[in-house]
Amino acid sequence: MDPLTFVESIRGQFPPDFFTQDPSELLEYGKDWTRVYTPDPSAIAFPRSTEEVARLLRLCHQAGVPVVPSGGRTGLAAGAVAARRELVLSLSRMRRMDPVDTLGQTVRVQAGAVTEAVHHHCSEHGLTWPVDFASKGSSQVGGNIATNAGGVKVIRYGLTRQWVLGLQVVTAAGEVLELNGALEKNNTGFDLRQLFIGSEGTLGVITEATLKLARLPGGQDVLLLAVEDVPAVLRLFEAARREPFQISAYEFFTDRCAARVERHRKIAPPLATRAPCYVLLELEKGVDYNLDQWLSTLFERELILDGTMAQTSSQGAQLWALREGISESLSATGLPHKNDVSLPIAGLSAFCAEFGRVFEERYPGWEICLFGHIGDGNLHINVMKPEGMEKAEFLAQTSKADRDLFELVRQHRGSISAEHGVGLLKKPYLGYSRAPEELAVLRAVKQALDPKNILNPGKIFDL
Amino acid sequence: MKILVPLKRVADPDNANKVKIPAGGATIDTTGLEWKPNPFDEYALEAALRLTENGASPKARQGEVVVVSFGPKDMEPTLRSALATGADRAIRVDAKDDQLDGALVARALKALIEKEKPDYVLMGKQAVDGDSNQVGQMLAQLLGWPQATFAATIQEEAGALLVGREVDGGVLTLRVKGPAIVTVDLRIVAPTSVFSKSTARTFKYNDGVRFAPLPAIMAAKKKPLAEVKLSELTSDTALRVEYVKFEPPPGRQAGVKVKDVGDLVHRLKNDAKVL
Repeated sequence: MDPLTFVESIRGQFPPDFFTQDPSELLEYGKDWTRVYTPDPSAIAFPRSTEEVARLLRLCHQAGVPVVPSGGRTGLAAGAVAARRELVLSLSRMRRMDPVDTLGQTVRVQAGAVTEAVHHHCSEHGLTWPVDFASKGSSQVGGNIATNAGGVKVIRYGLTRQWVLGLQVVTAAGEVLELNGALEKNNTGFDLRQLFIGSEGTLGVITEATLKLARLPGGQDVLLLAVEDVPAVLRLFEAARREPFQISAYEFFTDRCAARVERHRKIAPPLATRAPCYVLLELEKGVDYNLDQWLSTLFERELILDGTMAQTSSQGAQLWALREGISESLSATGLPHKNDVSLPIAGLSAFCAEFGRVFEERYPGWEICLFGHIGDGNLHINVMKPEGMEKAEFLAQTSKADRDLFELVRQHRGSISAEHGVGLLKKPYLGYSRAPEELAVLRAVKQALDPKNILNPGKIFDL
Repeated sequence: MKILVPLKRVADPDNANKVKIPAGGATIDTTGLEWKPNPFDEYALEAALRLTENGASPKARQGEVVVVSFGPKDMEPTLRSALATGADRAIRVDAKDDQLDGALVARALKALIEKEKPDYVLMGKQAVDGDSNQVGQMLAQLLGWPQATFAATIQEEAGALLVGREVDGGVLTLRVKGPAIVTVDLRIVAPTSVFSKSTARTFKYNDGVRFAPLPAIMAAKKKPLAEVKLSELTSDTALRVEYVKFEPPPGRQAGVKVKDVGDLVHRLKNDAKVL
């Protein structure tokens, strides 16, 4: 059935403010942070309860109406984009948070709860849900789980997946599944919960979750260290990991990134030495942790060229701003083409060397700004549009360059999307990271759970 | 040139452990607080370092900067940080946070200054916890020294400092002959705010407080950090200020959603009474 006719036919079965077709809302709820596709949803639904979600999905299923589940829409792969007249199902009104269970260190929340609100809710008890990234003020728990979100603390806490105990999911047919409750251990067959984490809304709609919590960390030491090249970044990483302290971030960026941040924000470099690569190392202040001794050996072992450690939390924030400002500063000082790949950590040096060679040969003169969560094997590769090249020409060139890049990623057994997901944006390239046999299994799972293909159709892969 | 920089530690407002007030409101519970140097004092330290070096070759020190702080032993990391940033020596006056007030600190500093004989005392215009803005002025009175408060710029001249103070409608420039007290405002750490005699007038500093290079952080462990008893500096430890009551600021009232512009105007008129 045509989605508009469908909405009209069921409107009476829901509260008066359940649907909206306001043009500005359609525009807003039809997109995420990508700016590649033109949003064009048919209507937005705002359920207040799991029962309403289930009732709506049953009706959609019967009528074969496509649905895009929608959270904070801060994704970078167009997973929440509705560009083909879909009905958007927004969880924004479902943001209840139950009291924190301080004994079990868990909290049950609805999917629309905003990440930062969950942090505030738990911090009163000295606890936190350690899923943390720049968009936490808008991103919602359901979306974080559906995209298995990453961020800057993955090296310390792992992905979102590690911090979800239980899920309530509504299937395409409108069945409500309660998966795993609040159990740490439950070895009774397939763990279906894991299937929905990272499914980008294609297998079911997450309506509630029991989140696992961690103790809030105490203070942190923030260091900025200058090194020669990517192999040196990794040698330092190996040395840091051997120490008994807790690393809570190991980020890297090249001098080209730093130069653009400094130019854009008009800030001065914190180190006296200019170096090709910088590492931002954050450590949790432990009880018995002899950082000084380790630091004093770094120069002797020629692991670093220069370095500084923040003496106050505001200096720590200044060092972080250098790293966190990169994305914004690249966009403000040029036109970046972005990729987010991951590699086995042990293969990063070889990959970077080969990648540099291939690009120098085939795309001479391109400025490549490299940064990322290198402690997770995650590289953000940004190619800047050369001055004087037309935008259309650049986009055509980058789509060719992407194939070259992804071919290298495939050869080095990496992933074409480390943490941004696949959505619509990376769908054409999924074959570089997933074998045909694997894709066949993925499709079979999708067909078993959503036989009529109404849940986020066309995302991740086509059937 | 020898400069003494009194440096107070204050609770870090960015830290998750908030200031707690026990029932009755007679005191503040400082357990579990994270501390940081009072930002204005940090700026004073930065200004003192700039006055005792040539900006182009800061490693060759051209004077001495002594930092002094009042507090229990667990405040020593704050002083070590100051040493890492570049101070040459540190003194901790052993005292409890709740047994100090501005007047007592000024009396004790006077005695210390008479012993240390610095050319200048540079300090923050105020501490961001109590916001009293008194110690610098009281100290000048007790010592009978000239003072320049709220300094935004400092240039060294022979035997004097030329201090720029931002006032309504312009800049007021004072020449203070040492020994003197200078309290600093936040603009003192701008790139061209402070010039020693040897720093070229074309030189530009990085904005803000300098980062401590790792070798300096290591070396700071070996720099002298002396302890002095409060009673050695003044026999009069009575407090002039009595803190009557502490109260947290009132919580924010919940917002309301308005239906439309008419409703907004109605509420601004009748509920908020601002129209």
